[in-house]
Amino acid sequence: MVAEEETLITIDEVSKWYGEVQALKGISLEIERKDVVVICGPSGCGKSTTLRCINGLEEFEEGDVIVDNVSVRKVQGTKKIYKLRSKIGMVFQHFELYPHLTALENITLAPKKVFGMSKKKANEKGMELLERVGIPKQANQKPGELSGGQQQRVGIARAIAMEPQTILFDEPTSALDPEMIRDVLEVMADLAEGGLTMVVVTHEMGFAKEVANKIAFMEDGVIVEHEDVETFFKNPKSERAKEFVDRVLVHI
Amino acid sequence: MGLDMSVIPRNFNVLLGGFYTTLKLFVLALAGGLPLGIFLGLGRLSSRKWIYYPVSAYINFIRNVPLLMVIFWIYFALPIVTGHNIGRLSSAIIAFIVFEATYFGEIIRAGFQSVKKGELQAAYSTGLTYTQAVRYILIPIGLRRVIPSLMTQIIVIFQDTSLAYVIGLREFVRASTIVNAREIRSLEIFGFVAMVYLLICLVGSTISNRLEEKGE
Amino acid sequence: MGYQFDWGVIVREPYWHWLLNGFIKTLILGSISWGIALFLGLIIGTIRTLPLKLARAIGKTYVEFFRNIPLLVQLFFWYYVIPPMVGQWFNRMQNLPWIMAIFGLGVYTASRVAEHFRSGLNSVPKGQRHAGLSTGLTNFQLYRHVIIPYGFRLMIPPITTEFLTIFKNSALAMTIGVLELSGQSYKIGTWTFHSFESITAAVGGYLIIGFTVIVFMGWVEKKLKIPGLLGGE
Repeated sequence: MVAEEETLITIDEVSKWYGEVQALKGISLEIERKDVVVICGPSGCGKSTTLRCINGLEEFEEGDVIVDNVSVRKVQGTKKIYKLRSKIGMVFQHFELYPHLTALENITLAPKKVFGMSKKKANEKGMELLERVGIPKQANQKPGELSGGQQQRVGIARAIAMEPQTILFDEPTSALDPEMIRDVLEVMADLAEGGLTMVVVTHEMGFAKEVANKIAFMEDGVIVEHEDVETFFKNPKSERAKEFVDRVLVHI
Repeated sequence: MGLDMSVIPRNFNVLLGGFYTTLKLFVLALAGGLPLGIFLGLGRLSSRKWIYYPVSAYINFIRNVPLLMVIFWIYFALPIVTGHNIGRLSSAIIAFIVFEATYFGEIIRAGFQSVKKGELQAAYSTGLTYTQAVRYILIPIGLRRVIPSLMTQIIVIFQDTSLAYVIGLREFVRASTIVNAREIRSLEIFGFVAMVYLLICLVGSTISNRLEEKGE
Repeated sequence: MGYQFDWGVIVREPYWHWLLNGFIKTLILGSISWGIALFLGLIIGTIRTLPLKLARAIGKTYVEFFRNIPLLVQLFFWYYVIPPMVGQWFNRMQNLPWIMAIFGLGVYTASRVAEHFRSGLNSVPKGQRHAGLSTGLTNFQLYRHVIIPYGFRLMIPPITTEFLTIFKNSALAMTIGVLELSGQSYKIGTWTFHSFESITAAVGGYLIIGFTVIVFMGWVEKKLKIPGLLGGE
């Protein structure tokens, strides 16, 4: 039987350099099942880099990331990394939909090729997902014909289609017009309620307060503060976090 | 059938003579093609219809026709009609200038177009005439931008000189076939020719890459 | 000494037939070589973008080698040097010039096509790779379903130019004995001394081919248009 507080992802003292510059300095984080973890902090602090290290899209020099008992370090560069990646979904700031495929095709590509799902079954599932994110009518349209908010919702559906244990969100609403941000955040809140484990890099502190249960505040490649959401907003421990919360709360 | 590279030194004179002709053709083609290319580039940017249309028609026509045909036309066809006989080298030079200038023209046009309108207007506002603006602003700035593309085209021209073979001009390739007819050592001889071209063009593209890096 | 134009030359038999024959030969020669060039060029262009150093080096050598030696010299190699090496039976083959011309032209053009493919593939935004890989696609699947389809569309303009160029370059096949369009125009010239007319006719033929290629590629570009990308809406 799976315990509720099962750790799905462990980031263990990960350090990463871009040439001379150290982008991540000994990052440690634990993601448990059903966690909704928000990673926030000033620009350039390493939030997105951390995400990309989790599913092996970026290589890191020190430390390790353990996903479902598999070491990312060990499988990096081998065929096993593909399997690992299919357990973790990712949603991108700039949506990154394949422009030459329709919304439905974007969603069903991986299930067909990685799981070997039949076209019929994949399309059925895909339509279900499109309904779930609220845009079933756009199934046969190409990304260029969709609004930003619609594209991002397709992006989310594409990530969900692989039935991952965890989904990483890399500033999912930063590139959206204000009207559309709400739609996407609603979808994300729905997913959280349904028990999905999420790691979200975002500036949307309203979302953090309402939906997340843990917050990690990063600055300059280091996790400065890491605790549950309530404590963070009521009683931030560090000076920087206090400043950040003050500035941000004014806008909510 | 062993390799007998001594066939090269033995016939060095002939080969060198051919290479010399290739160089002559190359240099003269450039000397004529580049200036003409500048005119064509300017012509394509002209707002005067009586310049723009003929120039565009000319460029589009030539670019659709093989260089071989142009060489043929100037060497075989033109003399028959005009009654004047042009020598092989002259025909080749004219053909190359006529042909390659169109390619230069398009590259240079792109270079000119990249010069910001404001810079030109500043020049005019200080009283410079069109010719002066072209000479002191457009050409220095615009040409410099497209040096890499020009270098690539120049290397192409160097290779294209081999086409003069078809009218019997004794350039490098024709010289090598003459030697081959005597010696029948096609691997060594054509291999040598290939290596010479390869070397020169590689050096050319390295220079071009250096220039491109320096410009950035 | 006045010159008497005789435009009838190009419509009289057998010359008209020669011209037509040459025209068709040019079409076929260009098309088959183009097929080889696209196929080879795609492979080599892709190889040059792989994260393997050895693969990239092989690709680069191929391109630099075939790109820096004049096509004429390459054709001579294919026709004079290689067949005797393969064997006398090969050297005496009926359609040797034709076959060697196709290979020579195809292999040469492939080196140029490879460069355009490489450039196109490299222009695909990095985020697309991330997106594909993040859903668990293997590198092979990523290239096949995302990178190559996307990159291909970016390359259509330069590929169109190469398509035009291959038909022009096919004229060189006459130097190894293939009687394609320019070869025929030359032959007619030597038979009738009216090379002005025959060459003009051949030029017309090339213009027709060029026009057709441009129209065809325009149709291809339209069919492959991606809305929102590259001005396709």
